[in-house]
This record gives sequence, structure tokens and C-alpha cells, in this order.
Amino acid sequence: MQLPIVAVDIIRNRNILKKELLQQENLVPTRIAILGGSTTTEVKSMLELFLLAEGIQPTFYEAGYNRYCEEVLFENPALWDFKPEVVFIHTTWHNVSEYPDLLENSTQVRERVRREVGRFESLWEKIHAGLGAVIIQNNFDLPRVRPLGNQEASQTFGRVNFLLKLSEEFGSYARTHSRFVINDILYLSAQVGLNVWFDHTYWYKFHMAVSPTASVALARNVAGIIKSFYGRSKKCLVLDLDNTLWGGVVGDDGVQNLILGRDHPVGEAYLDFQRYVKDLQRRGIILAVCSKNDPETAKEGFSHPDSVLRIEDFSVFKAGWNPKSESIRQIATKLNIGLDSIVFVDDNPVERSLVAEQLPEVAVPDVGSDVSLFAELLEQKRYFEVDKIVAEDAGRSAYYTSNAQRSVHQASVGNYEEFLASLDMTAEIGAFRPVYLERITQLINKTNQFNLTTRRYTSAEVEAISQDPTFIPLYGRLVDRFGDNGLVSVLIGHLKNDYVELDTWLMSCRVLKRELELAMFDALVEECQARGMSKIVGVYIPSKKNNMVAGHYASLGFKRVDGASENSELWHYLVPATYSSKSRYIRRTADLFVAVS
Amino acid sequence: MTKQEFLLEMDTILDLPAHTLRGNEQLEDLKNWDSTALVAIIVLAESASSVQISPAQIVNCSSVADILRIAGVAESSV
Repeated sequence: MQLPIVAVDIIRNRNILKKELLQQENLVPTRIAILGGSTTTEVKSMLELFLLAEGIQPTFYEAGYNRYCEEVLFENPALWDFKPEVVFIHTTWHNVSEYPDLLENSTQVRERVRREVGRFESLWEKIHAGLGAVIIQNNFDLPRVRPLGNQEASQTFGRVNFLLKLSEEFGSYARTHSRFVINDILYLSAQVGLNVWFDHTYWYKFHMAVSPTASVALARNVAGIIKSFYGRSKKCLVLDLDNTLWGGVVGDDGVQNLILGRDHPVGEAYLDFQRYVKDLQRRGIILAVCSKNDPETAKEGFSHPDSVLRIEDFSVFKAGWNPKSESIRQIATKLNIGLDSIVFVDDNPVERSLVAEQLPEVAVPDVGSDVSLFAELLEQKRYFEVDKIVAEDAGRSAYYTSNAQRSVHQASVGNYEEFLASLDMTAEIGAFRPVYLERITQLINKTNQFNLTTRRYTSAEVEAISQDPTFIPLYGRLVDRFGDNGLVSVLIGHLKNDYVELDTWLMSCRVLKRELELAMFDALVEECQARGMSKIVGVYIPSKKNNMVAGHYASLGFKRVDGASENSELWHYLVPATYSSKSRYIRRTADLFVAVS
Repeated sequence: MTKQEFLLEMDTILDLPAHTLRGNEQLEDLKNWDSTALVAIIVLAESASSVQISPAQIVNCSSVADILRIAGVAESSV
């Protein structure tokens, strides 16, 4: 499944690929229902491959041919019993029930749009209410023939115009509803070309609305969306400089001779790639530099008047003469992220090969040396797909900048306790709030190191937990004198008779050693006291990445007990009648929600 | 692509041991013959053929020999 992804090769070799991909360890199981308005066999087959390539092992439910409506509206027991975590609705322009008649006016067309969208909304509401699954819904591709010619797009009653309006309404629903994501086949069909997207033979013989070749592109796109639900998207883009962000070698050519800007065809391509990278940074992807250059010389390249990227856009800047694999390790350490969260882009195939060999967890796409293709080749792998962009994402770079200020301040303070006291920290700790559910879900699916159980939940499940009175679901948000660290901790306790079992406890590595985990525990103990819970049961499930919390419960005064299942540990804490807060430097600002049943 | 190479690729697509297919089989008798296999073989034939062929031609085939003929693959010269 290496770049570039060649549809023909994947179709021919799918059996071999599947066998190889199934050999991977630690595949995350997921249940996916595919409800199609046409034959879905090929889409399902390709989707399985792309999900396996992302470490996700799907079990599928496939609805009967073109029964996407009936199976939901009549609650097909087989579908309901399957309990899908994801429902993919694979409909296309073929499934629109009524197109406008010739010369219909705008009011009539608007009513038709409303009726058609309403038909789909009834399905989505039924799925959310009855199954609780996340929905991935196709918007609409365009037909290959246009009886009205170009008027299809401009006339109110034109089919192209109608389909674009429907796609817009679907997008609007996605913006205003959680657990609902659009699979943009309007874009995909344009990208592959309508003549490739739709093939008459496959439609009339098999009722495949999307050709096998295009099914590869569609499946790759859907797999990218599903991957984002499980926090498998990458967090950081590490970039070389010379001939990657600009043409030429800044150390040899000097900044004034770099090829960058609209006056040169290749320079314009570098400018556009910089713009693409900047757009990634704006929506929360961390940028870092890894360059074989003298550091000061390397930075000069960003002073080029046409450079869109600036030094401050990068959270880590590694320039020097060490092997790039060493620099990338240092970048990961500095950012507190795993190597598997990093994508490395370099025009030099030797550097790419060395990093790929020495750091197999780092994604190293073969972008070639033609900058005009870099962005598209990155896009093919959907490294940075997200199901929602939340405010926290846009502020991620600002966090790393304020963190640099914290580091400088720490160096100036005598000892660590004084440093913590000087941060003037306040924490908002409370029961899950609807406005935070997206971020909470993101944290649950992305946090690996400070994570006691590494349980993953979809946004539907998180919402269900937030409304279930048998849970104590707590979030923690930390602010200090340098800025807002954001919502950085989640703790979910499950009420069982007279004790609480900790299902989930995690914290972003951004705020390690600030004692936020102590403040969360203080809040939890108070909540247990209020509810009359005599005991807290801590669960620790060791993983490859969470060794840092192996001693967490012991440090809080828990005692380890027998009776745990294989590969997990149980710890008990007896809730005292009077309790002294463990957190010393954090003021709490939110009241807990106490639901006493 | 030679006939032997094409048959080996068909073995892979149908999840059969290498050198199972001889070229004279009826499609409906083949183990693992289904729509996804047909699609993959159409793609194989399109990429193997030196002339333009349409999926419809492959869809109308009833035997492996028909497919080989339409794809225009010949015996190996060795």
C-alpha cells in the first residue's frame, strides 16, 4: 500500500495484500455497516484493505441491494443485532428519488430539496437514536450526461444544480450534528474524472454506481475518515528545507538566489507547497524542521520575501549535521509525541530511505523530487484526516509557543516546586459538557502514554457515557499564567453498587508533572464521598506505550489486589471520611455535577 | 504478458495455488468465482491487453479460454 497508490495493482493483488495485512499485531476491531443504494461488494472489499493498512480490522454488515432505506426504517433485526460502530451510507446521484421537472421555479425546487434531504434525515436520526453509530454519508457525484448541457448547472431545475444544492444541505447537516461525517464523492469523482468514476458496463451488469478503479479511491477516502475516529491520524509534519520548501541550497546559493515565488514556474510550485503546509499548520498539524544545514543559515531561507512560512510556524527547528533519524527522535521527544505520529517529507531519496530504515514508525512517503506533486502525494495517504476540527486544534501551535515560555521561566526559577507555585494554575474539572465532547473524544482516541486503560470510544459512545447516570465522567482543563493548556485530561468512573471502577483515566503529555492528575483525583474522591461510594477500583492495562503510569495508583495510595483478568491489574483505594487534597498548586474552578439517584 | 503469466495472476486473484489453472476451465466451475474475482480479472485483462478491450467483453466470457483470447495473451515463446 505504498505511494503512489495504483488502483489496478491493488485490485489485482487484493488477496495477497489482505493476507499480509492480517499478519499485523494489535489490529483494532471495528464493526461497520455498509448501506448501499447500489452494489457495494467492491467498495467493501477495498475498504477492508485500506482499513487493515491502518491497523483497523473491520467486521462488515452489508445491507441488501439498494435497501439502505428499508433496513433502517424497518429496523432490520440483523442490522440492529450487528450493533455497528460506523454506518457508511453509500448512495449516489442514482438514488435521488425525484429530480426537478423542466421549468420548475426556485420555490418548487427548494421544496424538492427539502423533501429529499428530509428523507435522508429520517434515516440519520433513526440510526443515531437506534444504533448510536457514527454515520459516514456520501454527498452526491454528478451524472456523466447532461440533457440540458451547461444549463444543468445554472438553471434552478437543472440536475447538476439540484445535486449541488443537496450536497450543500448534507454539508450543513454535518456542520450542525455530531457523529456525522460527509464522504465527499463530489470531490472524489472530479478528482478521478467522471469517465473513470462511472462505467456503464459495471452499472448495467452489476449495478455498481462507482467503477472498480474509482472504488479504490472511494474506499481509501472512507478508510481515512474511519482512521481519524480512532486517533490514527498523524500529528506532526517534519520537513526538510533545501529543495523541499524552496528550490536551491540556501547555504550555497544564498537566500536571494533561492527559487521561490511567482516569477519562476518551479518557484511558484514551492510557494504553493508552502501554502499547503501553512494550511495544515493553521488547523492544528504541528510543523517541525529537520535539515542538514548550519542552523543560522537554515533559518535565513525563511527571510526570503516570498516565503509564506515563517520560523514561528515551526514548533521545533532541528538544523545541523547529525543523521536526520536522530533529529527526528529529538523532535518527537521535545513534542512528547510518538514517532508513529510523524510524517517526514524530504526531496532526497537517500535521506528518506535512511529515516524509513532507522525509524520504521515514522511515515516517510515517497514524494519524489518534483515539488508540484508533494501535496497531492501527501493527500493520497490521508495522513491528517480529521472527523471534526475543534478550536483546540487551531490553537495547537500557540500552545507549543507558550510552552517555550514556560520552559524559559522554569529555567529561571530555583526549584521545581517554586516553579509550579509560580505558574498560578487553575483547573476547570467537571462532568462532561456537550461543548467539550468532540475534544474529549479526540483525547480518548489519541492519548497513549498517560493512559491507564487505553480504551477507545467513538463520539457516540462518549455522548452516551455523558448522559448515563451510572458513570462519573470528568474532564480537566488547565490554565496557567502563560496561557490555556486546553482540555487535557479525562477520567471516567463506572458506578458499581458501593464502589467506582475507573474505566478510563488519561492525560495529555502537555501537562505532565503539573499535578493535574492529583487535582482530578481530588475531584473524584469528593464525588465519591458525595455519592456514598466506599471504594475506588483502579484498573491498569499495560500497553507498549503507557509504562509511565505503571506506578500511578501506588503513588496515590492504592493497594494492588488479586482478581484481575489476564494482562491487567486491579488496585483498591478506600475512600476516607475526611480527605486532604493531594494537589498543592492547582485551584479548581468548576463545580462537580452530582447525580444522586 | 504471456498466457502462463496471465494464468498465474488468475490463480492469485482466485486464491488458488500457483499453476492450478490450465486455461480450459469453465468460469462457473472455478472455486472462489464471484463478482469481486470477475472485477479483478477484468482489470487484469484490460492491463494485459495490447488492444483496447471493454469490460463487457470479459463479462460475456464463459471460460478461461475466452478471457485469454479477448485479452490477447499468447503462449510463452520459451
